[in-house]
Amino acid sequence: MEYSSIFFLTLLWVLVWGAIGLAVTPRIYLRRDKDVSQTGLMGALIGAAFGPIGLAILWVFTPSYKTRWVLLPGIIVIFILSLAFARADPNNLCVTSGSFVASQLVNGIIIGIIYSLMALGITLIFSILGIVSFAHGEFYMVGGMIAYFMTARWFPGVNPLLAILAACVGTFLIGYVFERLFLQPMHTGEVERPGEYAILITFGLAFFLQYFVQATVGANPVKATRYFDFPIVENALFQTSKGSITFFDAVSIPNPRLTAAVVAVLMLVVLLLFLYRTWTGKALRAVSEDKQAAAVAGINTEGMNTLAFALGSMLAGLSGAMLVQVFSWLPQVGTIASSRSFVIIVLGGMGSLPGAFIGGLMVGLFEAAGTGCIPDPTRAASYIPAYGMIVLTLILLLKPTGLFGKEL
Amino acid sequence: MNRQWIPRIAGILAVVLLFIFPFIYGRADYDFIMHLWITAFFFAILASSWSLLAGYAGQFSFAHMAFMAIGAYTAALYGNYIRILSAPTNLCTEYQIGGRWLVILNPVGVTSSAKDCLEIAKESLPVGTIISQPSIWWGVLGGVLMGGIFGLLVGYLVLRLRSTYLALFTIGFAEILRAAISAEIAITQGQAGLELLPLFPRGLTLFGNTYSSTDKLMPYYAMLFLFLLCMAIMLRLTGTRFGLFIRALREDEEAAAALGVNVVRYKVMVFTITAMMAAAAGAIFGHYIGIITPNILLILQMSLVIAMAVIGGLESIVASAIGAIIILFMLELLRNSFDIGPVRVDMTLWRLVFFGAVLMLTLRFRRNGLIAPILDWFNRAGVAEETVAKRQAAPTEGSD
Repeated sequence: MEYSSIFFLTLLWVLVWGAIGLAVTPRIYLRRDKDVSQTGLMGALIGAAFGPIGLAILWVFTPSYKTRWVLLPGIIVIFILSLAFARADPNNLCVTSGSFVASQLVNGIIIGIIYSLMALGITLIFSILGIVSFAHGEFYMVGGMIAYFMTARWFPGVNPLLAILAACVGTFLIGYVFERLFLQPMHTGEVERPGEYAILITFGLAFFLQYFVQATVGANPVKATRYFDFPIVENALFQTSKGSITFFDAVSIPNPRLTAAVVAVLMLVVLLLFLYRTWTGKALRAVSEDKQAAAVAGINTEGMNTLAFALGSMLAGLSGAMLVQVFSWLPQVGTIASSRSFVIIVLGGMGSLPGAFIGGLMVGLFEAAGTGCIPDPTRAASYIPAYGMIVLTLILLLKPTGLFGKEL
Repeated sequence: MNRQWIPRIAGILAVVLLFIFPFIYGRADYDFIMHLWITAFFFAILASSWSLLAGYAGQFSFAHMAFMAIGAYTAALYGNYIRILSAPTNLCTEYQIGGRWLVILNPVGVTSSAKDCLEIAKESLPVGTIISQPSIWWGVLGGVLMGGIFGLLVGYLVLRLRSTYLALFTIGFAEILRAAISAEIAITQGQAGLELLPLFPRGLTLFGNTYSSTDKLMPYYAMLFLFLLCMAIMLRLTGTRFGLFIRALREDEEAAAALGVNVVRYKVMVFTITAMMAAAAGAIFGHYIGIITPNILLILQMSLVIAMAVIGGLESIVASAIGAIIILFMLELLRNSFDIGPVRVDMTLWRLVFFGAVLMLTLRFRRNGLIAPILDWFNRAGVAEETVAKRQAAPTEGSD
């Protein structure tokens, strides 16, 4: 009872003042004839962080919106909630053991990087085609399946890099063909209400791919073996075994996760270089800024649409290929992955690349905290899919543009 | 005779046939075919009400199965936790109504051997106390109302959200509901599922024939009545201003609002009505199946409904209902696996692959579905000639 009373009272306090800030602040700004955009969010966070005092100061001075007026209170809110949690449940492993917290944090960041790779694909597709691919999780699943079959069934002992490459090429081709055949008519005006058409057709693809894989591969879980073994190194900073690496005797990271994260970071760098340094990448960004202007400037927007969809699907396939050595793989894994990437892109702002990255990190950390720290683990485990969805629905209701999205 | 009459006559014939079907069908697979029909009606209600929501009003909601589950779970919780006693237990939460006590049992969970409060109170209750379950139809009604309340709530929440955002929000809603039902094991028994009584727990005697509680006849007629009722309501609605207004919403919300359509009201109304239909279907189907689990909320079930509506014809209620019935029967008939040389083709999975391909191709090349154009061919017979004749009769009128 001690646990719930302190923690939930704090939570209630934060929520109530947040709600008051959200509801009242835009009105006050409107009355003062000032820019009201973002003030709801600002009011909510300042109310949640500083309570009535913060709100009173905000309402008296009505400063114009700056990122720091959101960032600072946001950090303070997280701090207050963790403090309340620590006070309420002092015997929890997350409070007593620093090394446990550190390892949870590191693992959260690592898994978050891999999630962001996948979310980058869906956000790339959204920023250029203006649609959300509901088949994204299935591309992730197919990528993992291809990598598994390459390393374990077809060519045992093949260089895992080749398997990853095959997964990329496979998902790229599926995405390419699908876009050409089914999404192209959307842009040429052959289809009424293209938004709804896109939802249904990608949903149909998800259905098709999932059952196709289930019919050909079967419903038994598969798992690829580790791609690389670490060399055995031991020094003051870290020590390794074949399957994991341990920093400072405290933070242990399993090998598959670390390699997946390293590849994800490399891929992010390559993607950013591609988008900002090459002609094609610049053309892609131009199309996402303004389709007509890009077409006038001589960019083949149809080709860019296809490229964006295929590239986005490839990113999903790549993260699947990296994660098939971490999780056991089923034809249904795509569903969870899809909903996770929806949460990330909505959190980060639809179509925003940095948003997808930071959203992915946040979801990774959130899940690590959720699995590691919450008491009553069985119930918490059942609720884990719901946490992300609660965040998703709340953001859609309060601020559909997310953290970094363009204003509608 | 004008061919416009053909679908109407065929429709009346079909309804009559459906009504006498259980009495004229006497083959050995009677139970199986009846089960297929009940399931087909269930999916037909869901697909046609989804087509009213998505095809007519343009609200691509993925929460339809969630409303169905709300109806089913409300009925199940009512049946599991509410009893009527002729004497007070003094242990449970109870309310006196007339000379009887309405008792709400405390949930004890699925694995625990603990007794609920009624079990404990039984030892001290006066001899001859009658413990009865109230009529299940109140539970069904409660399910429908609960579905309506949630439909109203979701309808208000999604007022600002369009296409993709709406789809994401409703997926989120369905997932949260599924997680909550799976996690609250003490109340909903999680994956073990909640049991429901059959529709007529004591059987039924009609015209001198007695049917046991497991007979498929009662659920067949219950589902058929519900199906026809929903179809009648929806067809009536689409013929009125309501149908016109929600189609205006679909085409252009701002323009509709500018022309005086109360956007908020009609959007919320269409959500509420379709949610109530889904909930009613869920409650009846739950009582027929006898057990419900959170798996009815899986996204696969929702995609089946969507696929049925799309293949039938998203923008026609009758077509999506017919599509649902045909697809359900086809899925069952395609279940038989066969061999091509040494390779065994497992049709239980390949039929769904095939089905997914049909869904995509229908969307791509036949936006109006496969059934709707046939209905249109009959319904719109002579319309072109009529229009031409009208124009020729009054060539100058209104031509400015």
